[in-house]
Amino acid sequence: MADTVLEVRNLKVAFPCPGGVIRAVEGIDLDIHRGECAALVGESGCGKSVSALAIMKLLNTPPAVCRVDKLWLDDLDLTHLPDRQMERIRGKHMAMIFQDAMTALNPVMTVGKQIDEIYLRHSRLSRREARQRTIEALELVEVPEARSRANSYPHQLSGGMRQRVLIALAFACVPKLIIADEPTTALDVTIQAQVLDVLKNMQRVHRVSALLITHDLSVVANMADTVYVMYAGKIVERAAMQEIFLEPLHPYTHGLLASVPRISDERQPFVQIPDAVPHPMRKPTGCYFHPRCPRSNDPCRQRMPRLEGPDDGRAVRCWHPLRQPHEVRS
Amino acid sequence: MSRPNVLLQVAQRGGSLVTFVRKLWQHPQGRLGLILAGCLVLVAILAPILAPYDPYDVTQRAAKGLRPSWQHPLGTTTTTGQDIFSMLIYGSRVSLMIGIGTGVALAFLGALMGVMAGYLGGFVDNLIVRVVDIMLVIPTLPLIIVLTSLLGRSYFVIVLVFVIFGWTGLARVIRSLVLVLKNSNYVKAAELAGASRWYIMTKHILPGTSHLIIMNTALTSAGIMVAEAGLSFLGLGDPTAISWGKMLAEAQGGGALLFGAWWWIIAPGIGIFLSVFSFMRIGIVMEEVFNPRMKASSSIYKLFKHLNNTYLDEVFRSMEEEESVVREPPDRSDAPTPEGCHG
Amino acid sequence: MTRNSPDPQPLLEMENVSVDFPVKGPYPFSKKCWIQAVTDVSLEVSEGETFGIVGESGCGKTTLANAMIGMVRPTAGTVRFQGVDLYALNPKAFKEARREMQMIFQDPFSSLNPRFSVYEIIREPLYIRGQASETVMKGKVLELLKLVGLDEEDMYRYPSDFSGGQRQRIGIARSIILNPRFLVCDEPVSALDVSVHAQILNLLMDIQKSRHLTYVFVSHNLAVVKNICQNMVVMYLGMIMESGSSDAIFANPLHPYTKALLSAVLDIDVTKPRDRILLKGDTPSPIDPPAGCRFWQRCPSAMKGCRTVPAKLVEVEPDHQVACHLISGFSAQQVADSLHEPVSPKSGG
Repeated sequence: MADTVLEVRNLKVAFPCPGGVIRAVEGIDLDIHRGECAALVGESGCGKSVSALAIMKLLNTPPAVCRVDKLWLDDLDLTHLPDRQMERIRGKHMAMIFQDAMTALNPVMTVGKQIDEIYLRHSRLSRREARQRTIEALELVEVPEARSRANSYPHQLSGGMRQRVLIALAFACVPKLIIADEPTTALDVTIQAQVLDVLKNMQRVHRVSALLITHDLSVVANMADTVYVMYAGKIVERAAMQEIFLEPLHPYTHGLLASVPRISDERQPFVQIPDAVPHPMRKPTGCYFHPRCPRSNDPCRQRMPRLEGPDDGRAVRCWHPLRQPHEVRS
Repeated sequence: MSRPNVLLQVAQRGGSLVTFVRKLWQHPQGRLGLILAGCLVLVAILAPILAPYDPYDVTQRAAKGLRPSWQHPLGTTTTTGQDIFSMLIYGSRVSLMIGIGTGVALAFLGALMGVMAGYLGGFVDNLIVRVVDIMLVIPTLPLIIVLTSLLGRSYFVIVLVFVIFGWTGLARVIRSLVLVLKNSNYVKAAELAGASRWYIMTKHILPGTSHLIIMNTALTSAGIMVAEAGLSFLGLGDPTAISWGKMLAEAQGGGALLFGAWWWIIAPGIGIFLSVFSFMRIGIVMEEVFNPRMKASSSIYKLFKHLNNTYLDEVFRSMEEEESVVREPPDRSDAPTPEGCHG
Repeated sequence: MTRNSPDPQPLLEMENVSVDFPVKGPYPFSKKCWIQAVTDVSLEVSEGETFGIVGESGCGKTTLANAMIGMVRPTAGTVRFQGVDLYALNPKAFKEARREMQMIFQDPFSSLNPRFSVYEIIREPLYIRGQASETVMKGKVLELLKLVGLDEEDMYRYPSDFSGGQRQRIGIARSIILNPRFLVCDEPVSALDVSVHAQILNLLMDIQKSRHLTYVFVSHNLAVVKNICQNMVVMYLGMIMESGSSDAIFANPLHPYTKALLSAVLDIDVTKPRDRILLKGDTPSPIDPPAGCRFWQRCPSAMKGCRTVPAKLVEVEPDHQVACHLISGFSAQQVADSLHEPVSPKSGG
């Protein structure tokens, strides 16, 4: 694929700790095309945030051990890039939007100044020009009264405003890839919708690729083009957004979708997946989902299925998917 | 499930001190501290048996200023002919008693004040916080000098001053922790169930602060031992008791440097060092054990040194996709099960 | 409020309840400010129903729930439980009355004392009441463990050994050991993994059925509220915007805020794109709430009068009340000069 912005092959992360090894990420492959928004969905502890940090090479290694066969950002090979150069790449070509804007912003610097810094670092602008660009950027993310808001400190802004500032900050250097880690989880429903819209617009307008990390399927439905569903460190299903909601193939995806209550539902008991996510140090043998799976039988208990399907289309990691990926046509 | 856990339960329920000691013992440095402190306590208790001479015997004028020998392992003093080795052994009594005694008294007072301020709040809180604020700005050392000259030089006065002016630090820390615990949901649940204040204070709040209290006791005890030595050296200690600080002062006064009697200076120095070191170890290890973040970082780094690469390679290899021989999905009834299982 | 519920006396009744919290002013010597967490709320919860309280963070829903069970003393108004004014009781009677009410907390990690074993946690309410022997308590705990889906051997393990969902089950067992009639569930699943939400909600519903409990369900998740609640209130900045039966509210939301909230809920139905009403701006601070209707600054259809005239709850159909001038209208004079000139909503804060 010529137009692949992020290509990750076989990313693995483990955390050795007293009494064993936490296998956080067990060999995931990702391909994100230009202008596409891919979502990595999973529950807490499935390794989605760790994957994002590993792609940014932001994981501290002592605690973590990373291996990756191939990590390309556009035409840059980051697989074995040393930290020093990685810092430059991160500032210029990759940006991250965190869940907690309060800790991601510098509390003793006005938000305008923090965005100015980015413009000043990446282009030859005077302070005045940089500020002008900052105000434009803030207007783009729909911060009202951007000129005066630029002079406020992070703690003076509301959660939604801070998240917008973070988005403006991330897009300021026109990166190739934006990684958004639970960008709206900490926000209220009405604010969440606003911020998500802003993020979507920014991503479309700038034609920036995005990797969205979330546990919230409704966020995925409103934002993503491609969906990777993770469970216990492995990708269990990959599909275009519409497809995964209309016809999930993996029993886990199916159960997850069924268990989310919808406004349109009639009153009835909620569909539930039994049990809980396995502890990352004590994963079951065979398919990791088999103890919770209604379709599991002997092979599931003994062997881990492969992620199978056409190379650039639907794929599912299951011995007994609801349908075979090649049967699905959409 | 039941057998191994019974011990643990007993430990957790029957007094947290047991748990603390157990946890300390598992940590090599904590074990070192415990052993050292244990030895010191034994020495202090068994001093009359261990000491070859009576250290208070100042009548051995004939044996003044002896160099170390088999009779006198650390020689004798130049002024009165006391056996220095025996003085060293007896000195541990004063040091430990002042250290531990003050530490425990401090912990008790500090915890009481902190919990009261934090949990009762309102007027009591205001009062205690004000008192703490005032106490914190009063310099302790000059005050001790003034008070000892006023009330007479005795360890009782010294301990009293240390306790009266030392509890504030602990009280502040405890208070802020109690404020956190007080608002936790399990306290709320207990209140909902109709628990009295006393119940919540003793069952939920005090146990929650116990690690801080014990850690603080160990660390302040070490600090007090140094302070005691300093005061005794300045001549502010009890003139009738033998302490390591006073030994140093006597060594200086008796011209240990002049006669080249380095052992006279080194001996109490080692005593002070060992006692402070052991208590510091205990306190620091305690902090490490109960502060998860510190614990994680230090032990993980150690773990990394032990991890050999082949083991990690094995882990990573086990994450690989299986080279499935059968491309077609296995049928529902039965599937061949190759040996390649996941570890 | 309507009084057409079949039960003559509601289990819990709140009348004009307000809760204000004092906060320190922004400057050392400035005057004390008051956070108006809950303002003038009246509602009735009848026996056996599930009553939903919906709103965004900071709307006062948790404070309201706390006032219901006697954890927060209201600054004004009365709370009657089984016909008795809760806050007029002497301490002893208060404690007795509260025996019937319990709470399930949002965060299963801070609601269990890490130093207690599961057995000690669950039996604690019985132990505090001090009316049961050890064997009785043990039997009771065993029974409840089975009810919430845990094993007998879990009894002597500690909270750190359990996942979030299991911890919440422990919390539920603790809250029902005194056989309460009234249970406040404060966002019981929002801190849990998506795949265990359904388990916990179903468990709560089963328990309600088998033990004839009355639930007050505090949540920001409208889909869940719609599914399990019979009656509900929608709160905004400490006031009730809309109340009534959940069927009526979801079928015909009338308040602009309810509409916006409903449309803002991100759904996973990808087939039918919906028009979303996006509210501008943020929730204003409860320290200095806007005069008039609390919602006017963000309201897409605010009128001039909304800025000054507070909106009162009025009944629009059986079991459905709304506090909005669009519905109730102003006096004839006010309508005349404000109806046709919508005020552009200004962002707050």
